Formats: sequence, structure tokens, C-alpha cells
Amino acid sequence: MLNFIVRRLLAILPVLLAVSLLTFLIASLLPGDLAMVILGDQATPENVAALRHDMGLDQPLWWRYLSWLGHVLQGDLGRSFRTGQTVLQAVSERIPVSLELMLMAEFVGLLIGVPIAIACAARAGGAFDRFMTGSAFAMLSMPSFLVAILLIYLFAVELHWLPATGYVPFTEEPLANLRFFVLPALTLALAEWPGIMRVLRSDMIATLQEDYIALAKAKGLKPSRILFVHALKPSSLTLVTVTGINIGRLLGGTLIVESIFALPGIGRLLVGAIYTRDLVILQGVVLLVACGFVLVNFIVDMLYAVLDPRIRHGHA
Amino acid sequence: MTRIAAAARRHAPIFLVAAFAIVPLAGPASAQKAGGSITVGQELDIPGFDPLKVGVYDTSTFTAAAAIFDTLVTLDDKGEAAPKLAESWTHSDDYKTWTFKLRKGVTFHDGTPFNAQAFKDNFDRQKDPANKCRCAFYITNVKEVLAPDEYTVVYHLTDPSVNLPATITIQSQNNVVHSPTAWKTKGDDYNRNPVGTGPYILKSWTAGDRMVLEKNPNYWDKSRPYLDRIVLKPLPDAQSRFASLQSGEADIIWDDENDADNIMKAQKDSKLTVHTYKGSGAQVYAFNTKVAPFDDVRVRQALVMAIDRPKMSQAISNGLSRPASNPYGDGSWVKCKDDGALPYDVEKAKALIKDYGKPVEFRMLVTATPRGRMIGQVLQQFWKRVGANMEIEQVDQATIPSRAFTRQFQLTPWRIVDLADPDPQMYANFHTGSPLALAGFSDPELDRLLDHARVTADVGQRTEDYCAISRLINKEAIWFWTFQNTYYALSSAKLKGFPKIYNSVIDVSDAWLE
Repeated sequence: MLNFIVRRLLAILPVLLAVSLLTFLIASLLPGDLAMVILGDQATPENVAALRHDMGLDQPLWWRYLSWLGHVLQGDLGRSFRTGQTVLQAVSERIPVSLELMLMAEFVGLLIGVPIAIACAARAGGAFDRFMTGSAFAMLSMPSFLVAILLIYLFAVELHWLPATGYVPFTEEPLANLRFFVLPALTLALAEWPGIMRVLRSDMIATLQEDYIALAKAKGLKPSRILFVHALKPSSLTLVTVTGINIGRLLGGTLIVESIFALPGIGRLLVGAIYTRDLVILQGVVLLVACGFVLVNFIVDMLYAVLDPRIRHGHA
Repeated sequence: MTRIAAAARRHAPIFLVAAFAIVPLAGPASAQKAGGSITVGQELDIPGFDPLKVGVYDTSTFTAAAAIFDTLVTLDDKGEAAPKLAESWTHSDDYKTWTFKLRKGVTFHDGTPFNAQAFKDNFDRQKDPANKCRCAFYITNVKEVLAPDEYTVVYHLTDPSVNLPATITIQSQNNVVHSPTAWKTKGDDYNRNPVGTGPYILKSWTAGDRMVLEKNPNYWDKSRPYLDRIVLKPLPDAQSRFASLQSGEADIIWDDENDADNIMKAQKDSKLTVHTYKGSGAQVYAFNTKVAPFDDVRVRQALVMAIDRPKMSQAISNGLSRPASNPYGDGSWVKCKDDGALPYDVEKAKALIKDYGKPVEFRMLVTATPRGRMIGQVLQQFWKRVGANMEIEQVDQATIPSRAFTRQFQLTPWRIVDLADPDPQMYANFHTGSPLALAGFSDPELDRLLDHARVTADVGQRTEDYCAISRLINKEAIWFWTFQNTYYALSSAKLKGFPKIYNSVIDVSDAWLE
């Protein structure tokens, strides 16, 4: 197992390096000059040149990348020139919000997707199965900003059940905090459950055709027991993977939802950085999100290997 | 997302070529009630308050600054300069020296006394070249500020300014007064821990979420403020911002013409109030008259005459945008009987292009936002009809000023913001030799009128000058204007005492709840 972990970690290193290079290039190749952005309308060519020199912008690209990477490796991702905050400060303020949103969204997605998948697999090809598979496609094609606005109009404006926007930290008012997260989490979950449902459904349909299920049926076990006890667990392997990957993907995918529901998370930080051309924050956040994604994938790989020994021995 | 993107265009302070404007202090005469708390739904996150860090305030920062800080001068409900931290002022005959007498007994929230030296420290800090502040650009017309005694501040200007007090009233990065003790002791942290003399004190601020302001119990104006607490929240999405107002989570929200549907919905809702302010200034465009085809007046005139403003307004804002025929707007004191506007005349435009004889092909800069694109496309259609081919060049917001200043454009969008006086912007935009005279057009008569208007005290005479300037610019078609500036805020009908939205500042520092 240790051998496997080391091999995987070594494989991740070039990925992380590529991520850092791409992140650096994105920010460096954007049109416009950082020095010009900082100095603004009053910039004279001399001022710009001086600032460019101070910031090392007049150095060759490779030199700037290595110097930036050197700082990053020492934990220094830079400081916003607008707010004076360091990237790590800004991110650590925002990350709890995004993590909570992601976890709730995934939880709600599972809550919707798993029961539907089981019900569909139990009567594969039946009316309910066909209807839900169709609905899943419909949900997948609904953009999340539209879902968000519809939910807001229904639950906040018309029914007054839930707040349209806002946020309170969990540590201050736990119940209010959860109320604020219901609609955003539901918005994301509505895009998540179709994937969850389809993966679990097809795995379960395959499992239900195994010999031991036929044996269980022959023994006269109750259908619900067969479904939940005998079929669900062996069908969940792919679901674990998908759930893990979803969490990583959600980390980058909350931009729209956080903006609409005014949640102060990473997504909002990133959107703000783009509009204000705060390239230091932009670079730092993209790098951290990308690394988070790689890390989650690594953990999923590990889990997978734990669940199925064939994988860590390289047979599957 | 598109709303946010469009909003980002407005936010860019870069367009506030000379960010001066007007502060409202229009308390209603009816009985104000004390107490209560309101939530303001803003468009953007506030980056901070230290001019050295943020450079130029945006519309969201203005709202907070209006509550936390004071300015020397404010405007009364007629739009005329009125005392705030300064009680009175005088000027020299040539309008190049202004002397302000300060209010006594005012202290900052941290206990530091407010006096002439504190004001001078604020000014010097921005002006100091070593600090490289973007904010310095807007005070280049001020040579120095002196503090001859504890309660006297003297401005020495490089050029005459007949209306200086009115132009320093907006709660901008240059005009609000910070506590020198606070920025010296807090260093980098001052940006997010502002200290002023204003009616509200910053209580807490959660990044990206909320800023809580509480009533200043020691405010120098004992009758104010009325509300106990103001909560400022960034709600970047226009739809959910409006939904928050409807569901009661916000009491007042920022809005603009891009959001025409919701503004119209609010007009029909008896629980809501639509606050509209028809400001001065306009959305404007500058031709580069140094390059073909705009070095020929016929081409410029033809393009201006081809624009159907009412139809354009319908296309971009459901008809809410108000056509402009001069750079001053309905909110300005400059009212012209004849501003020399060229008529909408397709046939005449076609004839002019034909007369020019060569193909009219050019590129126009637009911002890379949905709104920028749409404006570009609408103009493209108008001009195509009269035989001119325009190619849209979408560029980043921050690129436009640098392209404009270096004259790397044929046609560029610009903006004349809501100002108490047209002089600072008109002089900068049209006087020969000004770095902002984007058209590259030089005319002795235009220079004479601009020079005369800035040293003349008589309003009638100045009006004459500015109308003559408008006639000249319209005739030469070196710039053109599409729509006047209009500012919006939507609030609960219970919110009272909300003043005019000068230069898009949602100032709730005098508001109260019924």
C-alpha cells in the first residue's frame, strides 16, 4: 500500500507543476499590464516602467515564473494590491463558506439522487425509471443561475420561507446559518443529483443481474432487503469516486451560486478578483483551487484502492 | 453573471475622469424618527478606504464613506455648496486661492481632534509622489494646501476654479477626511479599519459579506443621525438583489438602467419606492480627429446624425435611457436654449458620406461586457445604414483609458460624470493641450470660452459660455453624446429621508424608518 501511495504522489508532482505553470501563464498572458492597472489613469510611462522594474515585470517570463514558484513553495502567494490582504488571509476567510456549501450541496444531491437511483434500478425500464432518467437530463441542461432565480422567487419572494441572500457564520447562529445555505445548496444539488442517480442506477442494474442476487431472490428474501442490503453496497464503488470528484469540481463551480446568493466564499473572491484585475489574488486562488482538486482526486484514488485491492496492484 | 459583468463596467472608477460631485444633506422637514436598523444591498464588495491602497472609490465605497466620513463642504437641496466640516469660505479675485474656516470641537471616532493640520496631512499624503497614489491624479489642479492656523485651510490652485467648494463635496477618495492617528498607527490594516468624523462608526466587517455601522454618539451635529445601525451588504447579482428587497432582507438597493425590468416592476409595487435622480453629465464618445476618416468633419457629422437615440434606448434599457444632446444633462445648472445638437437625419448622413467620397471604415473600442457589446452592435447597425463600416474592438475595461491617453483609437467610449460644476471635466476634455482632450481638436474660440467660463462668477454669463461650447462641439462633432446620466435606488416605502443620488452615491446617512 505504501508503495502505491508513493507512486501516486510521484505522479502528482508533475501535475502540480503543470498546474502552477498554467496558473502563472493565465495571469501573465492576460491582456493589460499589471503596473498600469495598479497605477491607473495617472500612470506616466516613467511611473509604469519604475513599477514594472520594482515588481520584476521587466524580467523574462521564465525568471518570473521561477521566482513566483519559489515564493509559493515557501507559502508566500502574494498580497492583493487593492486590499493589502495576503492571498492566504483572503482564502482562509472565505474557505469555510465554500466548504460548507460544497458539503451541503453534495449531501442534498445524495439525498435526492440515491433513493431515486434505487427506485429506478428496482424497476429498470419501467415508467418511473423512464420518467426520472428523462428528468435527470432536463435538470442537467438547466443552467444553475436559472435554477437559483426560480428557487429565490418561489421560496423567498412568494412564500417567504427562506432568505434570498445573505450569510451568518455557523459559529454565531447555527440555525440561521443553515437557513441561508438551503437554497444555494439546493441549487447546486439539483445539478448534482442526475449524475449521482445515473451512476448508481446503472451500477445497481448490473449488480441486480449477478448470480448471488438471483440466489437471494430464490431464497425468498424481501425485495427491499435485497435492494438495500445485498445490492446497494457493492454498487457504491463508482458512487464514492463520483462523489469525491464532485466535491473537487464543486470547489471551482460555486462562482455563480455564490454571487447570486451573496455568499462570501472562494467563488465570490475569484469573481471579484477578475473584475478588479487583482491578478495576485486571481493567481493564488486558481492555484489553490487546482491543488485542492488534485488533492481530492488523490484521496479518491486512495479510497478506491482501499475498497478494491485489485487497483493498488495495478490489475484493474 | 451577465448582470455582474455589466455592472463591472460602471464600477471601473477609471471613467470618473474627474471624480468630483455633490453631497446631499437634504433632511426632510417632516418628523424624523430615531432608532432602527436598515440593510443596504450594494452591487460590489468594498475593497477598503485607504486611498493609497484602493486608489479610487467605487459606488459601493461611496455609500460607506458617506456614513463614516465627513467632507469639508456639502450641498444643500438646491445643489449649492453648504457648510459641513468647513463653516465658511472665501476666494481670491482670480479664484486661484480658496480659504476655508473649519468647524471647532469636532473629533474623529478615535478621539483625535479634527483641525487644519489633520486636513492638510490627508491632502499631503495623497499628493506625495513617493506614495504613488492613483488618487493623486484627481487633485493635480491643487498646487498645495496650507494650514496657517488651527481652524483655517487654504487651497492654492494651479488654475482658477469659480466653483471649488461645490466640486469637493462628493464622498470620494480625495475629499473624505481620515484620522491621521489611525492611518499612522494601523499601517496596512488601516484600509479595512477606517476612522472618520462621520455620523456612523465602523463596528464590524466580514469580508465579502457585511459591514455593520453604528451610530456615532458624539457626532458634532447633535440632531443626527437617526438610525442606530446601517448594515451594508454586497449583493452582486441584480436579480437576487431585487428579490432581497422584495422579501424584506434589504431595505434599499442600488440599481441602474441595465435592470430596467425590475425598476419598472418596482414602480408598480406600492410597498416599494423608486428613487430616480436625473444627474448632470452623459455617456459620451470621442472621435480621434487626428486620424482618417475622422479628420474630416463630414464623416463625424454623418455618424452623429445617423444615431436614433430613442430606438437605441429601447434596445439597451427598455426605453429608460434619456437621450442627450449636450454634455451637461438635465441635472446640471447649465440649461441651453440652443445647444446646437445635430438632428437625426439618415438622408443627410448618407449625403455627407457620399460627399466625402472615400470608403468610411474604422474601428471602435467598446468594453468587453455584454452592455459594451450591445451598444457597439446597435451603433454598428445605425452606421451601416448610412454607408459606414464599423468594426467592434472589444477591450478590457482597464485598457480603454491607457489606449485613450496614448491616442491609440479611432473612436472610444468615455464618460462625463455627475458634477456640481461642468468646469473641471469640460476644461480637461476640450482645452488645447490637456491630456484628456481625446479628440485632439484645437480651436482658439473653444479655448477662449473654456478659459472665460472658469473665471466668471456670473451664472448667466457662464451658462452662455457653456452653451456656446456645446454648439461648437456639436457643430464640429468631435465628441458625441448618447444618453444622460440617470441614477436609481429602490427602497422599501418605509425608508424616508433618502436624498438625491448625486453621482450614484446611495447616501443613507440621513435616512430614517417610518
